[in-house]
Parts: sequence; C-alpha cells; structure tokens
Amino acid sequence: MRREFYDTLLSPGLWLICALLAALPLFLSGYHLQIVTLALTYAALASAWNIVGGMGGMLSLAHSLFVGIGGMFASALLIRCGINMWVGSLGAAILAAGAGCLVAWIGWRFRLGHLLFALITLAFAEMASIVAMNCEFLGGASGLFLPPDKGRFIAFEFGGMHGTYWVMLLLAAGCIVSNLAVLNLPLGYRLRAVRDNADAAQAIGVPLLRTQVVAMAVSAFLTSIVGSVYARYLSFVDPQLLVSPTLTVEIVLFATVGGLGRPFGPALGALILLPVGEVLRGQFGGALPGLHYFIYGLVVIVVVRFAPRGVLPTINGGWSKFRARRADRIVHAGTNTGVSVTSGAGQN
Amino acid sequence: MVQGMLIGSTYGLLALGMGLIFGVMGIVSFAQGDLVSLGMFLCLALYAGFGLDPYVSVFVTVPLLMISGGAIYWFLIRPIAGQHLLMVVQLTLGLSFVIQNGLLMTFGGQAQRVPSVVDSDLLIVRDVVIQMPHVIAAAVSFGLALGLYAMLGWTDAGRAIRAVSQNSHAAYLMGIKVARVRLVTFAIGCGLVAIAASLLAPGAVMVPAQGFRYTVIILLTMVLGGMTNFVSIMCGGIVIAMSEAVGAVYFADTFGLLLPYLVFVLVMIIRPQGLTWRTT
Repeated sequence: MRREFYDTLLSPGLWLICALLAALPLFLSGYHLQIVTLALTYAALASAWNIVGGMGGMLSLAHSLFVGIGGMFASALLIRCGINMWVGSLGAAILAAGAGCLVAWIGWRFRLGHLLFALITLAFAEMASIVAMNCEFLGGASGLFLPPDKGRFIAFEFGGMHGTYWVMLLLAAGCIVSNLAVLNLPLGYRLRAVRDNADAAQAIGVPLLRTQVVAMAVSAFLTSIVGSVYARYLSFVDPQLLVSPTLTVEIVLFATVGGLGRPFGPALGALILLPVGEVLRGQFGGALPGLHYFIYGLVVIVVVRFAPRGVLPTINGGWSKFRARRADRIVHAGTNTGVSVTSGAGQN
Repeated sequence: MVQGMLIGSTYGLLALGMGLIFGVMGIVSFAQGDLVSLGMFLCLALYAGFGLDPYVSVFVTVPLLMISGGAIYWFLIRPIAGQHLLMVVQLTLGLSFVIQNGLLMTFGGQAQRVPSVVDSDLLIVRDVVIQMPHVIAAAVSFGLALGLYAMLGWTDAGRAIRAVSQNSHAAYLMGIKVARVRLVTFAIGCGLVAIAASLLAPGAVMVPAQGFRYTVIILLTMVLGGMTNFVSIMCGGIVIAMSEAVGAVYFADTFGLLLPYLVFVLVMIIRPQGLTWRTT
C-alpha cells in the first residue's frame, strides 16, 4: 500500500465532509433525506462499478445482475427460508462475487474485446432480469415484501430512514475507500496497465486473468452488499427496479459524468446528478414522465463531448491551470526579466 | 417458425446498417434501437396527423432520420471518435436515454399501434398462416440487402466505403474524402433504420421503452454475423428471430424468453468470430 492512501484517508477535509453528511439527517425533512439516501446508494454502486469499469476498462453491463443477487436473493432467502438477512446478504455477496469471477473468466477465456465484453455482460443482465421476473422463488414480476423495519439490528433492520441513511453513508464511504485502496495497491497498477494495453501488460508479466477476476469479484461483492441494503431500504423488492438493465446504464452514466477511474469521481457524479433528477421528477413527474432521464442523457452527451475525462478531473485541471496562471503572473510581475517563465506549475 | 424467418430478415437489415457503420468507423451505437423506436413513433405521428400509412411515411421518415443521424455523427460522434471505443458507447447510451424519454414525454407511456391497409391480411399457404406485414418486411429487407450489396460492390460510392473500411489512412491518401464517406455511411445506416422501422411498425405494439430491446437484438445479430460480414449478418438476424419464435412457441415462458440470449452466449463462446467461416 502506498503512503498516499493513508494521506488521503487522514486528510481533514474528507472527515469534515463525512461528518457533515452524517449530521444531515438531523436537519433534513423526510423527502429530502430519501433523495440523499438514494444518491448515496447510487454513489456506492457507481464507486463499486468504477473498480471494474473505470480502473479496469472493462465495460461491465452485468452489474444489475449483482445488485439483483444482493437485493432479491437475500430477501428471498429471508422470506422463503427464514434465513437471517445478514447471513443471506453475505451469502448473496459471495454468490455475486462468484458470478463476477465467471463473467471475467468468460471475457478472458474467449478473448472478448471491449465491445464483446460489454455485449456479453448485457446479455447476462437481460437473462437475469428475465429469470427474476419469472422465478416464483424470487417473487416473480410482482416482487416481494420485506417485513416492516422494527430497528432490530440483528435482523438486518436499521431503524427507519435515519438508520438506513447512516448505513448507506457507511457503505458509500466503504466503497470509496476500497476504490482508494485498489488504486494504491499493486492490483490497481496492474488493472490500469491492463486497461491501457493488455498485450504490453501481459508481456511485462501482469497476470491478466487474476487481475481482472479479482477486480470483478471485489466490485461484484460490494455491489451485492449495497443491493441488499437498498432492498432493505425499499422494503419492497421489485425486479423491475433492482435487476433492470436501466439500473446499470444509470450507474455507468453517473460514473462517466463524475470521472472514470478516479476514486471520488463516480460518487460525485451520483451525488450531483441524482438529486437533480429526483427533484425534476418531483416537479414534473406527473406532466412529463421521463424528464429526469432525458436530462441525464443530455448531461452525459455534453460531458462526454466536452469533458471526456469527467467533471471532477476537468474541475481539478481547470483549478490548477488557474492557479498556475496566477503563479505565472506573480512571477512575471516580481522578476520582470522579460524571459518567459515556464515553471513546473504550468505543467499541471 | 416461418414468422421468425421473416422477422429475422428485418433484424438482419437493421444489423446490416450497424455492421456497415462498424466496418467503416469502428464504432458501435447503443442508440440504434432507440432510433428504430423513433422511426416507429414518427410513423405513428404521421398516421395520427395526416393519416399516412406506415409504408407511405417511409418517404418522410427516411430523409428525416438520415439528416438527424448525419447530425448526430457530425456534431457528437466525430469529435470523440479518435478516443477510446467506450467513450462512444457511453455517449450513445446517453443519447438512447434522451431519445427514449423524449418519446415518453411526447407520446406518453401507454402502448400504441399503427394500423395499416395490409394489417390484418393473412397469407395462407396450406397450413401455414402468415401475416402480410411480415411478408412485406421480409421481401423489402432482402431486396434492400441485395441492393446494398450491389451498391457496395459495383459503384464508386460503394468502393469508397469499402476502401475506408479496409484502411482509412490509405483511402485518405488515395484522395477519398474519408470524413464525408463516414458521414454518408452513418446516414445510410440511419436511413436503413427508418425503413426497418416502417416495416416493423404495422401491427406492432409499441412503447417508448422498447428501444433498448431493439438495440440488444441489433447488437446480438451483428455480433452473431461476425461484425462486418454481409451474408452472415443476415443469417444472424434469422437465427436470433427464429430462436425467439421457437422459444415463444415451444418452451415454457422463462426458457423461451431466454433462448435468444442462450444461443448468443453459446455462439459467442464456441465461435467468437461469428457464424460463417469466411471473413471478408
């Protein structure tokens, strides 16, 4: 683990933001709290996806499958077999990690390119949604109702909206921290090497299969856990919500807008875009259904077209350019030598 | 079964447009299915507004979609085409959201259909009953596919397209205006989409959210056909549509719906380069 990991982890700004977010339920009304909880859910999902899609460059569209395993399978185990949801969600997460390994293995074994990988994962996601809609054990098209939340922590109940909010905050933070960890571990370096040039990476001894499988497993595991908590939060397990390919596309869009491959980018994208979308839906949902998706689409087109690295890196780049220019000006004014100063600050 | 074959030819036509685009530009549009959906809803609007039959409205939808497709390519895709393939995928995913929900806002979420003069006509050959729109769709699709093949093979425009798809750099050095060829190709792809939309529209039940499913079908078909190979893309369309039809008729619900995807995954795993042996 590189030192940067601990530096970032211990930076006071981050803790301040966390503390502010944690204090949020004390001020917000129920409706707004719901929106923020949802935004945190998507922030966690987008961050988990980022490990595979952003750092690994594998455009996995199968993540709705993992959310579905975490949400539906764990709920079904609770309702049909009476298995404690902690155990259930852990089991589901392991199952999801296994499925992730399988997907990554298929991608490796049959040497699917980026495009074919995206397609085959899409096919898996479609199959998963069809199975979920038609499987009686998972509740079928009508879905499952979880027992009401009585705040019994031991039974995977977090005590209403506030409790779920804090758990979700914890999860989102966990997903971001695992992003940071992967980024600073050898795994992150290998992943990025494979993303940028798989052949060259293999030539210098990066184990392609192991790298991709581990990344996929970690990502699927996290996604599934978030899925379980999301299902608990909704209390109603709806296959059209939890296993639909639209969910994956939303995750991908948020991550892209925020900044692919950056530890904070995807979470930021979700935290900005989702509240905007929800407020739009609240305002115009009756008159113009689908307006928020319309806006998402537009935002993504604009971002990909004009800031293809995502919002966060672009803001960062703009800020350092601004600082560099100011530094240049100060240097110019101070020395007044007439020699053009191209200091290192300009290289940012 | 026969119906599967007939529908399949239309899927094949759609995938041909996509295959052409992929061959020339190396990009894949995840918004293609939503363009189909857009074309179908345009037919609906023309029918509601002017009483035009879907087959007549081709003359309106084709230029319209070709122009909008050209604009999409020129202003959105061309500037980012040099970057990673996935950027284009993400951009077109965004585009698909825009189209799909634009349609939802304009036409509402309830299912609708466009009637046509041949809507309820049936063609009965011994004990096989076929709906007339499907026959027309298949005939037109095969005709267009042949026409496209001829165009690519024996005209200057077709030669230019093939040259760019084989080696764009060399084509550029030979004096071919590569950017223009790509623009034209993308527009042709979108024009094919408009035609296919008119063929699929009569009698079909449509909802704004259908675009995604069409995208998936088009992509599956194209991949089954080995991305650029003409003949096998048509075969791919037929295989997908037949497995859809067979699955719907002969198996229980779940498995029937799964069948096309299973066939796709199996083919992918056994023959990643597509159905046919030859690659062109």
